[in-house]
Amino acid sequence: MTHRPDLIDPGRLAAEAPPAHHTFGPDVLAGIRERAELGRYPIRGWGARRAVPDFDDLLLLTASASRYPLEGYRERCDTRTVFGARRAARPVVLDIPITIAGMSFGSLSANAKEALGRAASMVGTSTTTGDGGMTPEERSASRTLVYQCLPSRYGFNPTDLRAADAVEIVLGQGAKPGGGGMLLGQKVGARVAGMRTLPEGVDQRSASRHPDWTGPDDLKIKIEEIREVTDWQIPVYVKVGATRVDHDVRLAVAAGADVVVVDGMQGGTGATQDAFIEHTGIPTLAAVRLAGDALADLGLTTDVGLIVSGGIRTGADVAKALALGADAVSLGVAPLVALGCNAPTYRRRPVPPPDSAPTGASDSAYVEVDVSAEYAALGTAPGHCVHCHTGRCPVGVTTQDDTLAARLDPVLGATRVANYLRALAMETTMLARACGKSDVHRLEPEDLVALTVEAAAMARVPLAGTDWIPGR
Amino acid sequence: MCGIAGLHLKDHTYRERLGAMVAGMLRGVARRGPDSAGVAIHDDVPDVPDVPDVPGVPGVPGVPGVPGQAVPGVPAAPGAGLTVFREVGDPEEFAARIGLAGRAGVRALAHTRMATESAVTAAHCHPFVAGEERLCLVHNGSFANHATIRRRLAGLGIITETDNDSEVAAHWLAARRAAGDDLTTALRRLTTTFDGFFTLAVTTADSFAVVRDPIACKPAIIAETDHWVAVVSEYQALLGLPGLADAVVFEPEPEEVYLWAS
Ligand SMILES: Cc1cc2nc3c(=O)[nH]c(=O)nc-3n(C[C@H](O)[C@H](O)[C@H](O)COP(=O)(O)O)c2cc1C
Ligand code: SF4
Repeated sequence: MTHRPDLIDPGRLAAEAPPAHHTFGPDVLAGIRERAELGRYPIRGWGARRAVPDFDDLLLLTASASRYPLEGYRERCDTRTVFGARRAARPVVLDIPITIAGMSFGSLSANAKEALGRAASMVGTSTTTGDGGMTPEERSASRTLVYQCLPSRYGFNPTDLRAADAVEIVLGQGAKPGGGGMLLGQKVGARVAGMRTLPEGVDQRSASRHPDWTGPDDLKIKIEEIREVTDWQIPVYVKVGATRVDHDVRLAVAAGADVVVVDGMQGGTGATQDAFIEHTGIPTLAAVRLAGDALADLGLTTDVGLIVSGGIRTGADVAKALALGADAVSLGVAPLVALGCNAPTYRRRPVPPPDSAPTGASDSAYVEVDVSAEYAALGTAPGHCVHCHTGRCPVGVTTQDDTLAARLDPVLGATRVANYLRALAMETTMLARACGKSDVHRLEPEDLVALTVEAAAMARVPLAGTDWIPGR
Repeated sequence: MCGIAGLHLKDHTYRERLGAMVAGMLRGVARRGPDSAGVAIHDDVPDVPDVPDVPGVPGVPGVPGVPGQAVPGVPAAPGAGLTVFREVGDPEEFAARIGLAGRAGVRALAHTRMATESAVTAAHCHPFVAGEERLCLVHNGSFANHATIRRRLAGLGIITETDNDSEVAAHWLAARRAAGDDLTTALRRLTTTFDGFFTLAVTTADSFAVVRDPIACKPAIIAETDHWVAVVSEYQALLGLPGLADAVVFEPEPEEVYLWAS
């Protein structure tokens, strides 16, 4: 598909002008025109863009007279997070409770995958493969690499499985629970096609259901099979898109998962139908409490880990997610932004004159190249782009085009993502210390209040200034 | 926040004087906790009555929040008497009402409370008593993660009576003891399980222990002679104790478990 800048893009309109709240707002009109023009559903990247109750609707009750805060620099506040110690010989040990989510090589460029792997290793956390398999760059750059097992099975093989530090069985994603992966033809380049044993340049819609099992009873057998292949060495995660969270978490535990990953409706995607992104699943805020309570009810909070994702941006989001029961969070879109997504420029190292001696230029020596015009060519602008599905990413993050991909320097990119992750960890410990916690995992729902009745009902914490929890 | 006092007799010839000694210690920490008070007295004489003679309300369960009404003495473990009084109101009046100065025993805890987050009722008063062995605990400070620990205990079928943070610690310790920890191990584990600031004094039918959090901001002084060992929140609460001039007086170290057993 060639991109048609003359078509009105719903994502762009939604971003530029907040949708008017009437039945036929400008975004709705744009969507109708796109469907009429193309005879198919609108497709885009990123997650839900409409306002849903989220972590911004919660506040932390930090210490004052009845409780005491811990000092920032002297008094410890642990962030170490361990997954799978009960069953796996090699549990996953993370220095911070902030991980990088599964994003496929195909949706992301090889440089982006490598940069994320390097960044995760720099801060002692994990990164995750995605639909389409494991690249050698990603494996060698990542200290801890989680290998996804998706319905498509693209790029899934026993060799890479044994090279992984954990395996994540994906039942669904928050952006499209019940739907399968999607990679449009313009991103199915030779290397991607080879890894997926597909023809080049053809739109690819992945399966939405695993081919060899359905239901939790079979999942139990699948997990045993994976444990045997990996000789009980590595933890097994199960990822679900947040819909019937209470049931799904209990079933994942019953099937033998070491970690349940719950991805809320705001969760990002490389390319998905807009109807899925905006109209399926439940907000991350509601999902984390349901999942945390389900695990607590099973008495397994310390045994089975909970990773939550979908719209996590700041250390405050992390602290609140942990308080509601998560052991760690997982990030998709945010590290892409740290890599340069939606920035007006990309950064590259200066090319030295041909006859000059090597300068040993540091990572901070780079030049900025403006690419605003390329955003405009996509029908968008820096700050409003959700066009990952086009493969024409102006900053080289979500593309398979060699020229575009070369705009992302994996070393420079890794430094920025590592800085971002470190800053999130610092914010999280700062808030945990202010709540008197010597470990970020000791944040609890009682440390939170809600700003809105909706958030109070979903997170099951009192409305600020009251002791009222809706429904209690 | 609160005042704590604990006394353990090494020399049981002091048995008849225990109540008077504790009454003086309680007076010394009274201003730290004006809203309610409590004492637990262990005795080694088996014929101590289970239900103490409380003026006005013999054997009647305490009515929360009403000054002058006591939680009656709890039944003693076999061979070792334990009597507990807990009341809302001025600590010194409380001590007079229960005739503390005239009571005998071999080990005691006392507490004066300035409530932080939970209500002021008799049921919220320290000492908290938990588990089959009727472990007693007094706490100065506040915990920061007790809600999670309370939920975990509830998952084990251990239900706290109140929403008080210190009560969670008492039940948690009793649960660790029931799981086989000795008291020192259980208290050491407590320092890494509970967040917050605390000085705790704990008694059982045969032991007396003190522990502080890793930062140890809440005050604590231990004095020890050949005849007794005492812990208090403030030095002045030790002043009436016999033989204090010869006592070894020290501030307990953070995260160190101090334990005396008879
Ligand atoms: C570009 C992109 C590609 C993705 N690819 C996959 C994938 O291959 N498999 C998967 O399970 N989730 C995939 N996701 C979803 C992420 O794993 C994660 O659930 C989501 O991004 C979390 O929400 P956030 O983006 O708001 O942080 C992708 C997300 C993005 C943004
Ligand atoms: S800048 Fe690139 S990664 Fe970011 S939304 Fe646009 S296409 Fe996607």
